Amino acid sequence: MHNVVTKSRDVTLLEILDRVLDKGVVISGDAVISVADVDLIYLGLKVLLSSVETMEKYRGAPITGPMQEPT
Amino acid sequence: MKLYLYGIIDSSNQINEPIYGLEGACVYNIPYCDIGAVVSEFTEPVQNNTEGNVLAHEEIIERLMEHFTVLPVRFQTIIDGRDNLLSIMQSYYKDFRNNLERFHNKIEFGIKVIWPSDKIKEHIINTYKKSSQKVSISDDSSNKRFMREKFEKHKLDEEFQAKADKFINVMDIFFSKFAAEKKLKKLKTEDLLLDAVYLVEKDKQDDFREAFEHIKGPHANFKFLFSGPWPAYNFVILPKNSDLLKDSRQEDLFDKVVQHQELVGAEKI
Amino acid sequence: MTLNSVVETDFPEEFVEEMEKSQDALPKKIDANPENVEKGLAKLVLTLIELIRKLLEKQAMRRVESGSLSEEQIENVGETLMKLENKMDELKGIFGLKDEELNLNLGPLGDLM
Repeated sequence: MHNVVTKSRDVTLLEILDRVLDKGVVISGDAVISVADVDLIYLGLKVLLSSVETMEKYRGAPITGPMQEPT
Repeated sequence: MKLYLYGIIDSSNQINEPIYGLEGACVYNIPYCDIGAVVSEFTEPVQNNTEGNVLAHEEIIERLMEHFTVLPVRFQTIIDGRDNLLSIMQSYYKDFRNNLERFHNKIEFGIKVIWPSDKIKEHIINTYKKSSQKVSISDDSSNKRFMREKFEKHKLDEEFQAKADKFINVMDIFFSKFAAEKKLKKLKTEDLLLDAVYLVEKDKQDDFREAFEHIKGPHANFKFLFSGPWPAYNFVILPKNSDLLKDSRQEDLFDKVVQHQELVGAEKI
Repeated sequence: MTLNSVVETDFPEEFVEEMEKSQDALPKKIDANPENVEKGLAKLVLTLIELIRKLLEKQAMRRVESGSLSEEQIENVGETLMKLENKMDELKGIFGLKDEELNLNLGPLGDLM
């Protein structure tokens, strides 16, 4: 059961990443600060997950979900 | 002050409901003329490509979609100050407006299809072996054997591509009926027969969905993926350089591209 | 998570696999390292040679199919194509280039090959 959920989540994340990392309005220029353009293109699931792991190590706690609403 | 940019919307009004974005910062609309740039203030060092941020970004875009037409902006686009943002809006105004008009009341759907490429190839080889149109090359030398192998591979490839075209055409005819624009990618991998996105009018989305269900039936050994609704990520047209805007010939090019896309959609119906 | 966008499929694993495979084919980093300028040049030259080689091969196949080649011609063309292919493999090996790297993206026109 867990595996099915994980894989469904993976495919959803990949669909989102495919759009959000490389499509839509792409503006570049001096006024635009963003993560190095070349790194953004197709970071892919694996790299993103390792970013999460790095963050977890740094913070010392697992990241459970997306942004929390401010209290 | 750094501004994280989520999208461009077809409104110069305030966002009335509270929406919280990355870092829990409030998301607001900076108007320019009759459109706006939706932003939130951003302080983090820019190396935070976490899954959470990506999902939060996408969620904001979807909230905006409920009330506005949205040009989604690429993840992690951060503008250095309000003045720079307004300058960007000025440079891209016409392009943004054109895109917003094209996307008004429309949403994007993605369809992916996996086919059993091994079985397809097997079938092609078997059919060819039985056919009377075989070209025979004698194999009495290594060069001739090389040619024969090359030729068989070439035939296989040709037939494989032709079958792919055939299946894609059949599917596309169904989907195109309800789509204003589309982009198709054939055989991104051997098994990934089709990776397609369609721009569909909101009031035609049920018909579109029905067409998808309908197509699945006769293709029992194919695998299908349906995603959406999305904002029109794949249909944004922007010149690479804002200077291009000043050249009127480039503006004509933009119109031509739009016309062509619509024509391509219409031809297949 | 309140995303409205839905991704529906009975085969999530298969699609993840195919999507990741198709990503691997993309060059991930533009390498501005000056030591690799040579490699960049080699890549460009070899890409063009590869294009020509593939066109020649295609032409040859069409001739074979139409039956307009004699046995002797098939023999000669075979030898030439085989040598060309071997030479290309050699050059790719020398410059450490893979097949997928020998391509050019022409923007809206898609890939060269």
